Amino acid sequence: MTARPVVELSAPPDMRAAFARAMVPGGKGSARIPRTALALRDVAQDGARYAEYSRVCGFTLRDQVPPTWLHVLTFPLHLAVLSSRQSSVRLAGLVHVSNTMTIHRAVAADERLDITVHADGPRPHRRGALVDLVGRIDVDGETVWDGVSTYLASGMQAPGEIEEQPKPEFEPAGITGTWRLPATLGRRYRDVSGDPNPIHTSALAARVFGFRRPIIHGMWTHARMLAALESRLPDAYRTDVSFIRPVSLPSTVGYVLSAREDGFDTAVTDARGDKPRLLLSTFKKQ
Amino acid sequence: MNHNAVVIGGNRTPFAKVGGKLAQASNQDMLTSALEGLIARYGLAGERLGEVAAGAVLKDASDFNLTREAVLGSSLAPSTPACDLQQACATGMETAVYISNKIRLGQIEVGIAGGVDSASDAPISVSDPLRRILLRANAARSARQRVKALSAIRPQHLAPKAPSINEPRTGLSMGGHQAKTTVAWEVTREEQDEIAAASHQNLARAWDEGFFDDLVTPYLGLTKDAILRPDTTVEKLAKLKPAFGGPEGTMTAGNSTALSDGASAVLIASEEWADAHDAPKLATIVDSEVAAVDHPGGEDLLLAPVAAAGRLLKRQGLTPADFDFVEIHEAFASTVAATLKAYEDEDYCVKVGLEGAIGAIPRDRLNVKGSSLAAGHPFAATGGRIIASTAKMLHEKGPGSKALISVCAAGGQGIVMILEGI
Repeated sequence: MTARPVVELSAPPDMRAAFARAMVPGGKGSARIPRTALALRDVAQDGARYAEYSRVCGFTLRDQVPPTWLHVLTFPLHLAVLSSRQSSVRLAGLVHVSNTMTIHRAVAADERLDITVHADGPRPHRRGALVDLVGRIDVDGETVWDGVSTYLASGMQAPGEIEEQPKPEFEPAGITGTWRLPATLGRRYRDVSGDPNPIHTSALAARVFGFRRPIIHGMWTHARMLAALESRLPDAYRTDVSFIRPVSLPSTVGYVLSAREDGFDTAVTDARGDKPRLLLSTFKKQ
Repeated sequence: MNHNAVVIGGNRTPFAKVGGKLAQASNQDMLTSALEGLIARYGLAGERLGEVAAGAVLKDASDFNLTREAVLGSSLAPSTPACDLQQACATGMETAVYISNKIRLGQIEVGIAGGVDSASDAPISVSDPLRRILLRANAARSARQRVKALSAIRPQHLAPKAPSINEPRTGLSMGGHQAKTTVAWEVTREEQDEIAAASHQNLARAWDEGFFDDLVTPYLGLTKDAILRPDTTVEKLAKLKPAFGGPEGTMTAGNSTALSDGASAVLIASEEWADAHDAPKLATIVDSEVAAVDHPGGEDLLLAPVAAAGRLLKRQGLTPADFDFVEIHEAFASTVAATLKAYEDEDYCVKVGLEGAIGAIPRDRLNVKGSSLAAGHPFAATGGRIIASTAKMLHEKGPGSKALISVCAAGGQGIVMILEGI
């Protein structure tokens, strides 16, 4: 296998411009993605933005950052990869289906980060093509975080056999607690995540994409669940998430958690705890 | 160096329902009133006490020195120091632990423990984004910077925030948590309504007997606890609709405590101080223990006192049969019922780190002068109400009689205390 070409960016891509390009609907044809990886070196973390991210997601503001914050720092490169001319997959209409990330050691808020993102796939899916956006964060040559965001491009094609994924299991077992998500949450999370997708902030845009109301970013719900676990999590762990159904704004959701030997199985559900919205498991890194 | 800390007496305002006769009184007003009644009863005017400790659960940031301000507004010597403590509904208990421990160590000879809460005069705060904008504007060095900071205000920032009694980590109200506990421990509607009816009937009898004549001082035209309904019966309570736990819920406004206003204060001293001042000695504060549960991890929010009681009884070499009185704060009737079941539950007691079940509490010794369901529950004032009443009950019962007090608190915490009659 030949080494993947890496394009070094001198500055973070302009999210709004990249987003405008990425929002141009893709075709229904075969899914193509760029082979090139994009890299940003020596990135300083913005302390004020990190503090607001922690408040919006429910994390205690700590010197050690949560893994979902590191994911947020890779997101501009996700957009840049998908807005490349070599990509026939466009962000418009992409569905974030699952996510996995591993934090390999505690990462401090004042560490400077080398961020690399590339796309993997596409893989066939019964409703289209799956694309993985693979991110990695290094500090002084040591990988401290890596993550894979899997998106579904509905109606697109990819070569190969469809891998049947087992349906994630969920048994209603009563809620541990509830969160109230105010109508303004989409705007507050947009401002800290930089994800300008209007389906999270505008009722009109949400309707264009088939939602009755704006929906909260899946990565907010992911972060909120980790925040509920924060004092129970080790320094190094993996967290796997399946996004089952979107959460409308405003709304009240329930959550439930149960402990395992090496981590937690959790779910974010409707307010009564009957229907899952997101399933998240954590695994202590050996 | 070792002294006994004894309860001399107590005083409280009558407790009122939110929006009732005490609605215009602030925390400081009510705490001062409770202190003044105590000062008058025990001739403390002009005296310098070792320390006054009190607190409030719903407290505005500007009330940071609430207790000191109340002392300065009272007829105690202005040289009496004070501090604020807070442990949610266990506040009044913790202030008594704090004062009695200082007395036992010989650091002070006499002090007052108390608490106050006003649900009517609760602080309202602005939304978090608005607060941050105002802080930025306040820190601005020029008019232009200030205008720029203030220009970030949006209509959605302007909705005021009433104080929430939801658990921050679970988003559930205390009633929502207790509704889960009610189901888990299979507490029936009938059990709850019986506890609620007994609370009203016991408190009404105590008022009729004059038990509170030297424990309560009228305030703002209120002479008696306003929530008390002497004619409450199980039949009347059975007609109420569920307030927590959905349409199938068993918790109602009748078997849950009402939001209340009121204040309490307890005079605690060394035996030597009491003898030198010819003051009555009602009961010794023997020992106390606090505990906490992992409610964000799914445990029962209001059952923390069970582990505390198990550890305290073991340390003191006592069993439930050794107590003449048991006071379990009635946050909800269901809390009392679940606590009693948990005492007898081997598995639960072992799970919280005890060696085995604590044992059964005889019902005829439980809350015999009524409790929070009938009296009301101004959060931080409840500890002082129970300690003063229980000390008096023990003194009437006679030397060596014992009582166990248990108070659950928000945050999955609980405190228990043993008093012994003198």
